[in-house]
Parts: sequence; C-alpha cells; structure tokens
Amino acid sequence: MSIQVSLKAFRYQAGSKPRFERYQVTVPDDANVIDVIEAVWSQHDRTLMFRHACHHASCGTCAVRLNGYEKLPCIVSVKEALAGREEMVIEPLRNFPLVGDLVVEVVSFFQKQAASGMVITREAEPSLDGQPYQRSEVFAEDGTLDDRPYNRFENCIECGICISACPTMSATDKFFGPAGLAAIHRAIQKTDDHRQKSWLLALADGEQGVWRCHSAFECTEACPQNVNPAEAIMALRRELIANKVKKLMRG
Amino acid sequence: METQMDNAAARVPAASWAWIWQAITGLGLVVLLALHMVAQHFVAEGGIRDYADVVAYLRNPLIVVLELLFLITVTAHALLGVRTVLFDLGLSDSAEKRVTQALWGVGVLTVGYGFWLTWVITR
Amino acid sequence: MRTDSKPRRVWQWGDVRQRKVGTWAYALNRITGLGLVLYLYIHLGVLSMLVGGPAAWDPFIKVVRSPLFYTLDVILIAGWLIHGLNGLRVTLTGIGLALGAQKALFVGLMVVAAIGLIIMAFMVFRS
Repeated sequence: MSIQVSLKAFRYQAGSKPRFERYQVTVPDDANVIDVIEAVWSQHDRTLMFRHACHHASCGTCAVRLNGYEKLPCIVSVKEALAGREEMVIEPLRNFPLVGDLVVEVVSFFQKQAASGMVITREAEPSLDGQPYQRSEVFAEDGTLDDRPYNRFENCIECGICISACPTMSATDKFFGPAGLAAIHRAIQKTDDHRQKSWLLALADGEQGVWRCHSAFECTEACPQNVNPAEAIMALRRELIANKVKKLMRG
Repeated sequence: METQMDNAAARVPAASWAWIWQAITGLGLVVLLALHMVAQHFVAEGGIRDYADVVAYLRNPLIVVLELLFLITVTAHALLGVRTVLFDLGLSDSAEKRVTQALWGVGVLTVGYGFWLTWVITR
Repeated sequence: MRTDSKPRRVWQWGDVRQRKVGTWAYALNRITGLGLVLYLYIHLGVLSMLVGGPAAWDPFIKVVRSPLFYTLDVILIAGWLIHGLNGLRVTLTGIGLALGAQKALFVGLMVVAAIGLIIMAFMVFRS
C-alpha cells in the first residue's frame, strides 16, 4: 500500500535567500520520514542537501526539525508525521550554522564532545570477544567500567538534537551545551584518574559550563536516546556545590 | 603541585557564584516578599500608608532592618537576573566583565538610594 | 555558511511554538522577571515622592486607590506569584531534585499561583 505525501522543505544555498519548497511524493504507507526526503531527492530535486547514514537511529546523522520539533526522521513514521496535518514541514536543526538545505555545520559541536574525550559507543551491544554481557558486568554501582576486552557503548549518538532544542544555545555558541556537558559527566564516571576527574569537573564549572543552563529541560525532552543531559548537568552541579561547601568548611 | 589551571581558578571568581546567589536570594525573597506584603498591606489601615503612617512605620528599627534587607536581596536577585539575560546574548569575555561591573555599580547605587531615602524620611 | 541573524537568535528563547512545558516555564520566568525588574525601579522611583513630605505623597495615595491601579497591582501579583513559585521549581530541579517531576511540578505550582492570584485579587479590590 502506498501513500501520497506533501512535503514542505527548507531550501537554502550560499548566496541565495532561504525559502520553502513543496513536493509531492508517493511512498509505501509504512515508510519513515527519511524515505520521503530520499524520494524527493531521487524523483524531484537532486540538489536537495541532507544527511543520512544508518537509517536506524544509531548514527545521529539525519537529525532535523519535523513540523517544528527536533526528530530523527529515520525512525518517525510518515503516518505520525502527517497526523492531523495536510503536509509535513522539514527544516534544519536550530543553533547550528547552515551549510545548505537540511545540512548544518557541526564542527564546534564535535570539538566540545572531543574536549571531554568521549568516544561514541552504545550500552547494549555485545563485546569484542563475542560473549554477551550481564548488566552487572557492564556497570559497577558507580558507573565505572569492568575490564573485559570490549568496545563500550554510550547512549549519546551525537545527533545534535539537544543543541537545537536548547534555548541557551540560541544566541551563544560559547555554551558547552547539553551534549557536551553530558559527555563530561560520563567521562568523569568512566575514569579512575583523580587528576582527570578534577580537570573534567573544572571544565564543567567554567564560564560556559553547567551554570549557563536555564533548566528548560528541552534537551532531555527531545533526546531520542535517553541520554538525559539535564540529569547529567544537575548531577555535575551537585558535585560542584558539594566540593565548594567542603572547601568552605576546610577554610 | 599547582598547575596553571589551579592558578587561573584561584584568580577568577567561579562561574557558579551567580547561580548560587541567585538561588539564595530567590529563596530569601520568598520569605522577605511575603513579610513585606504583610507589613505593607495587611497591617496598615486600608492596606496602604499615607505620609504620617509611613514615618510611623519606619520608626521601628526592626522594620527598617527588614525593609533594607529586602531591598538588598531584591536588588541582588534582579540584577543577577538581568546579567543572565544579557550574557545569553553571546557577549565577548571582556563585554561580560564590563556588564558585571556595571551591574555591581547599579546595585550599589540602588541600595544606596534606599538607605538615603530611609534616612531622609526618618530624620 | 550562514547563521540565523543575531536579532532572531537573541529573541529565539521567546519562540515557544512546538516547544514543551520546560520552555514555557523558562520563557514565563524570564518575562515575569524582566517585568518585575522594571516594576522594582518604577516603585523605587515613586517612593522618591516621600521626600516631598505629605504634600507630595498623600495626593499620590489617593490616585492609587483606583480600579486602574488595583488592576495593575493584580498584574504585579500575578508576576511575582508565577516567578516566585516557578523559581522554587528552578532551584529544586537546578540541583537535580524532583527532576523527573519537573513538568508536573510546573503545572501544580501554576495552579497554586492561579488560586493565590484569585484570592489576592479579591483582597485588593475589596480594600
């Protein structure tokens, strides 16, 4: 069974004014939004710029705003996107410089991720030695890693959705951002090195760190992978305040 | 062994002070504003004071302390809030420093004005 | 490469379309906060009339006992009820307490604010 879809897409090329263009495509009725974008590209306009890779929410590449809200179009069904609407609207993420159409520039985002030394990996995958993990093996109470030979995975797929959703990120690129701060929190949990922990905490405590968050909680709300950046930011704040109180007591 | 990072942190006030004081003054205001409202509008006859009532009200030193404490707390909270809104504009590091200094100035002037006004009325 | 214009980015926090409860709370707190700062300085300015003694102050008090000013007072009360109660939520959740309940907390506190507002509006107009 197929379905006819109307898509209103944000179009922009360097040197010209941004605009919206409308397209009509036919896709299978169980298709996801990424299929619509690809159908537009293959049938109507091969100049349409967009990112796509894994098609199953592992890579974070395709993140856009769908009907005004941040989504991974690879896992949103066409039916859901068109619920109560004549057409679906697709725009690039907010708070990133625009490269063209739906593609945004993510260099400074990745620089902030790299600052905490985060490697992209995910919780639920099997180990490098082929043996599946018991949860108790993967996580100690304090979140530190067990020493089996494995490629450990984190929830964050670095899609940038939290950055787009965050109101603090809108006018200032300097803010570390929810993804960056959540990464710092995870990096602190992953290391036993006290100097490294201190250094990471100081990074979170900096002028562009946890104190710039205004508690909109949009990051946690929009995150497609349960990273819960808001919780990470507040956990960092608690640790920082506890340290300051301790320092005050010691005098 | 002190690193450059430790030295830097020692020289500059931590970014956390603004948030922490915003929270402390905010909590303080929940109490102080309630007291101010009660003292101004429930205790006073008809809910508002004419000049003679104001002078009589301020004769009580406890009241003066309360109202000045309220002024200091609300001014601090207000200007810390303004600072946050301005910083969200994405200012340069030096502009942020200047904004902080300017707001300190406004705060001192505001509280100073309050002290002066109280003195003028009660002398 | 293009970024959104600076004016757009400066006011973007107020664009609550398609955003969730957390953004509504944040925008409301910012708007009421800025309104209250304005009120603070108007109020402090008005108090300078006390320097002129009863001849300056008492006529002003008569003006203030009017439906227009009572209405302005009710708007002011709404402002600090919303800002104060939501501020409690921001402080709590801001150190990670009751994070999971942040949405319910906002709704609940705004209900309290509404009830408080009705009661106080009644008291203002009755006085």
